[in-house]
Amino acid sequence: MVRQDDERTLLQIRDLHTHFATADGLVKAVDGVSFSIRNGATLGVVGESGCGKSVTALSVMRLIERPGRIVGGTITFGGKNLIDIPDDEMREIRGNQISMIFQEPMTSLNPVYTCGNQIAEAVSIHGGMSGGEARKRAIEMLSQVGIPDPARRAEEYPHQLSGGMRQRVMIAMALSTNPELLIADEPTTALDVTIQAQILELMKALRERNRMSIMLITHDLGVIAEMADDVVVMYAGKVVEQSDVNTVYEHPHHPYTRGLLASIPRLGEKRNRLEVIKGVVPNPLNLPAGCLFQRRCPSAMPICNVAPPFQEVAPGHLSRCWLTPAGDPPSVGEAPSEQVALDAAAALSAE
Amino acid sequence: MARSEGLPVPGAPLARPATEIDEVDLVPVRTYWQLVRRRFLQHRMAAIALVLMVVLIVSSIAFPLIGGDAWFKTSLTHGPKDPSSLTAPLGYDNLGINIFFRLMRGLQTSLTIGFFAVLIIAGLGTTIGSIAGYVGGWVDNVLMRVVDIVLSLPTFFLVLMFVAFMGSGNVFVIIFAIGLTGWTTAARLVRAEFLRLRESDFVQAAKALGASDRRIVIRHMIPSALAPVVVASTLGIADSVVTEAALSFLGFGLRPPEASLGNMLTNAQDYFYRQPLWIWYPGITLILLVLAASFLGDGLRDALDPRQRIEA
Repeated sequence: MVRQDDERTLLQIRDLHTHFATADGLVKAVDGVSFSIRNGATLGVVGESGCGKSVTALSVMRLIERPGRIVGGTITFGGKNLIDIPDDEMREIRGNQISMIFQEPMTSLNPVYTCGNQIAEAVSIHGGMSGGEARKRAIEMLSQVGIPDPARRAEEYPHQLSGGMRQRVMIAMALSTNPELLIADEPTTALDVTIQAQILELMKALRERNRMSIMLITHDLGVIAEMADDVVVMYAGKVVEQSDVNTVYEHPHHPYTRGLLASIPRLGEKRNRLEVIKGVVPNPLNLPAGCLFQRRCPSAMPICNVAPPFQEVAPGHLSRCWLTPAGDPPSVGEAPSEQVALDAAAALSAE
Repeated sequence: MARSEGLPVPGAPLARPATEIDEVDLVPVRTYWQLVRRRFLQHRMAAIALVLMVVLIVSSIAFPLIGGDAWFKTSLTHGPKDPSSLTAPLGYDNLGINIFFRLMRGLQTSLTIGFFAVLIIAGLGTTIGSIAGYVGGWVDNVLMRVVDIVLSLPTFFLVLMFVAFMGSGNVFVIIFAIGLTGWTTAARLVRAEFLRLRESDFVQAAKALGASDRRIVIRHMIPSALAPVVVASTLGIADSVVTEAALSFLGFGLRPPEASLGNMLTNAQDYFYRQPLWIWYPGITLILLVLAASFLGDGLRDALDPRQRIEA
């Protein structure tokens, strides 16, 4: 069910559960997520708002704040389970081996320090460099992320830079310590389209150069197509489909993924209305039994009242759906009976 | 003839020299503090208040140095009937003490008390407020209930009691009394700022960089939370000076021969009919000091708010 361990795996998440105890009840924001990130590869995590993408990322960084809590699972990185290690050790990994950039470049920089100062801080937290060295490194990083006249820009305050420039500064900050994994939480959502393309190009170039892995969180399938090697599609706190990027685009299996892909407008295609996925994401406080997508699913079947297994539909291609690998409803004879399905579900939850 | 002006002269360069274009590209870089200074100076009353404050501070330091022991030295040869002179611009009081130098000494005492009391207020308020705001939970609850309790007590009587028990007439006791009762507003302001900053993206980003709690609080949160404290502190100087004056007026402050604006007022009330000016000297000085501190605080509040735009 989970991709096999091998030495090329940088980060492995197994059965991660992150729950939020709100006043209205328990929200299972991340409910049994498993995936891994290969060395030097980019993993795209797609899904609509509130499906648990960001919470998964913050769980990896262990930056989940009250009332949230990681209640189960393992996150293996560098031979260690990040969920168990002490806070000090985690702090050493944060920003050093795993860096993160956020969605809002406008507010993610501290307004009271110059850009150079902030990058230098990132370096000095982990590098133990002197002030002068850290400053030099900051200017070097600014030129690496393609900021013209870096020495002067280093003296400027965040409010003096445009959004794209600020995101470049954020990237410079995140990469100043040469991390092995960069978590980018919607890095281009707040930018306009031309700047988005520039930032994506920059991230690609820096990925090759630093040989790092990227966990790219987005709801923009275009960005995924551009950047990712592997894709994880999330829905309501669960991974519903997982494969390499070509398979997901060309042979999507899960109806949700198909719906997402169908809702992208295409150039040159005449359509009166865009396809949409009907309905809304289920209330996380009151999730339906069985398949979480069934109420919005065009191919919903009676069997969908039982939680579908996360099964391999092709080598390396996993999907959480009852449909046969060919995408047909399971035929009456071959289909696992209700009892078989219940057994499968029981086995799954026992794991 | 006019038409030919627009046409290029043969042989002349068509484009403007490159240096001019380069200059257009250079947007002047202004730091936060340069912006603050500009905004502050645009606030006219604040600028006047700043000048007045500087004059008051400088004279409270310089004149006591020049006058030496003149501020408490009695004299049998001088008295209230002496005309004002260059060495005694405000004349002599009933004991033959040079009123001007006594006034300056009193101003010095008041400013010292105001300054150090506010230092305690700001220090205590920032510490307690930042702990409450950053840690949150029950710690926040306990600290804020303490603030509520202190706020619900009549501050002036608390100060009065403290001074009466700990020894009146002692500058340090007065400073502590004012400081220990006045920190609540600063604590609330800092806590509120911290609650806002804790959720801010740049604090989250700093955490993601692996910054420790201490570093986040000291380097990333306190500088942003300080503006309201600076404003409250400046206004607090005015409050502290008035409190000290009130204490002295009631006889719990500094006693002669120590000089403060408050005890000069007390002394002057005995001579209200014969020497009405004696009450005006410390009174006006006190008013000027309080006004200067208030307008300074107002100006700082406007200047430190980065959302305020400058009309160029």
